[in-house]
Amino acid sequence: MNPWNVNRRDALRLALSVSAAAGLGVAPRRAAAAGTINFADIGVGDPGGDWSKFKAASGYDVNLVSIGNAPSAVLNVLVASGGQGTYDVINIVGGMQKPLVDNDLVEKIDTARMPNWAKDTYVQEFLGNGKPGFQFIGYKDEIYGVPTVLQGDSFAYLPEKTGQLDSYAALFDPKWKGYVALEDNYTTAGQKTALYLKKAGLAKIANPDDMTKEEFKAVTDFLIDQKKKGQFRVIWNSFEQAVNLITSKEVYVIDCWEPMVFVAKSKGMDVVYADPKEGYLLWAMAAYLVKNPNRTAEQTDAAYKLLDFMLGGWYGAKITNLRGYMTNPQAATYAKDNPAEFPADEAKRVAEITANVRRKFEQGGTWQNRWPTEVEFYESEWSRFKAA
Amino acid sequence: MLALEHRQQIAKPPFSVGWRGFWQAWGRRVLLCLPLIFVGIFLVVPLGLTVMISFWERAGLKFRPAFSLASYVSLIGGARLDVLQRSLIVALEATALSLVIAYAIAYFLARKVEPATARIVLVLFTVPFLINYIVRNVSYTVLLGRTGVVNTALVAAGVTDAPLDWLLYSDFAVLLGLVSAYMPFMIFPLFLSIGAIDRQYIEASALLGASPFTTFRTITLPLSLPGVFAAALFGFVGCLGESAVPIILGGVGYELIGNTITSSMDVLNYPLAAALSSIVILLMLLLMLGWYLVFDMRSFLGRILEWRA
Repeated sequence: MNPWNVNRRDALRLALSVSAAAGLGVAPRRAAAAGTINFADIGVGDPGGDWSKFKAASGYDVNLVSIGNAPSAVLNVLVASGGQGTYDVINIVGGMQKPLVDNDLVEKIDTARMPNWAKDTYVQEFLGNGKPGFQFIGYKDEIYGVPTVLQGDSFAYLPEKTGQLDSYAALFDPKWKGYVALEDNYTTAGQKTALYLKKAGLAKIANPDDMTKEEFKAVTDFLIDQKKKGQFRVIWNSFEQAVNLITSKEVYVIDCWEPMVFVAKSKGMDVVYADPKEGYLLWAMAAYLVKNPNRTAEQTDAAYKLLDFMLGGWYGAKITNLRGYMTNPQAATYAKDNPAEFPADEAKRVAEITANVRRKFEQGGTWQNRWPTEVEFYESEWSRFKAA
Repeated sequence: MLALEHRQQIAKPPFSVGWRGFWQAWGRRVLLCLPLIFVGIFLVVPLGLTVMISFWERAGLKFRPAFSLASYVSLIGGARLDVLQRSLIVALEATALSLVIAYAIAYFLARKVEPATARIVLVLFTVPFLINYIVRNVSYTVLLGRTGVVNTALVAAGVTDAPLDWLLYSDFAVLLGLVSAYMPFMIFPLFLSIGAIDRQYIEASALLGASPFTTFRTITLPLSLPGVFAAALFGFVGCLGESAVPIILGGVGYELIGNTITSSMDVLNYPLAAALSSIVILLMLLLMLGWYLVFDMRSFLGRILEWRA
């Protein structure tokens, strides 16, 4: 590709897509020194390049490489580009266990090796076995991913044009005909539409997070009908593009990610990330331990130390502050208790973001499913929607 | 005397015999082999693999060697064939439009201006290639959006009451993106073939009483056809494979074949992506074959060499 066919999160920074495309070909060789963890990430898990705390605690350095987040990009990095023998940890939007575990690419996580795991109450609350969020980190009753980031998505709107909006119905409201944008992604836009159709009683959908062929076909038919009526102005593909759609007021209602709203607000825009009555599209990033045949026992030990570090307060606060997502329960407290590292305004920001995302998780909605049972049918139906 | 010398020069063997000649001959062969090896490794082998994989079978997320038509069969009746059809139509439209514009520019440069000026203008037409294609396309969204420069100016001038929605995220925007991306490529072969037409034919036609239009229709156009076809090929191949323009300027899922190939790879359906690619490659090969059968390529390439000399 086209490097331009970006899916969720990978376009978080414009530079990322470029480095991701380049990264396919230039995966680093395993460092000769035993002291480096090779860490593949989609641009969210980089604490501003500062791994000094981890290095001081473990003796290991971290070599971070940006990769794309599309399922194919992730699998390509691990399989086609020899990444399985290169990387120790990959940090991507979770829910990829089926392809990763079935292809023997990642290891089961021994949670006892991470002291911070037990302190992460989010796991028990939202992501543990039996909870709907389990699909982001677990597979067949085992844990394969360490949750690093949690978030609930909805849509954004310009209140000066639309007034207050509180339902996904706004995306399909004829009042905003031609002023609506969707993300080009069946696991986000498709699933949000399904959530709306289900809650509004417009379609019989048992699980918006894992639809049957008939159910997803109903969603596609609905979207095609809306498209033909001229409801949508554009479907966007990159972070910058979505931000521009908001800041130029090209559209008034846009299915998008919250950090885009943060960026638009920082440019002086009056834009609101909606609190829809149907709930949110919930998701989590997971750090997977790559089944790397070249790794020694000591290196595996260091990889576990890194996973544990990522569940800790400093890393969590840093990522929340930089990226705007909730990370772990220690983050806000750590930022507040360490003013030398996190000035008051940053600590406040970490606390606010954490509280806001927590509220979303308590409210619920639907858990994004990155690899639904009928994923190929989703893809071909989405093609039908786009081609219609 | 001069003529004799000239004849002797021609009669001289291309290189002197002996060891020097031997090495020169082999050096020449090796040099000729390099591009062949390059084309073989970087073009023929990957294309061969693509065609081969298109017949493979899927086994879960992976695929295994086989001779299966499943990927091709799955195309029948699906949306992807519509996408292919649309891609062909859009590529044809964009190529035709580009051809008209590029021909006019090339004709003007080859016939109506001083060669020195023509060269400067031709150099200017290479400037778009120096700008990243994504930047170029995104710039259009800034220019043509509802609150963009063009709409703001049109509304301010009273030409229209409300911003024109069709300027962006529309068929128009896609055509504009494709034409501005590939039309400059097409000027060069057209300029070469028009410039190489012997002016005496045109003067003779005028002397015999033909109108400028008749001269153009019966002399200039037919003689420039190899250039027209080369230009059309450059444009068509580029437009058919384009994936950034429809994504950035097309609006609601304006999908062309390049996009649907990428999309099928997202669910790791490599055989399907390979099948779609193979169909596109086959179409291109047929076009090339047509070019080869209809035109003598040497006439066109020979003119490039003349022009450079």
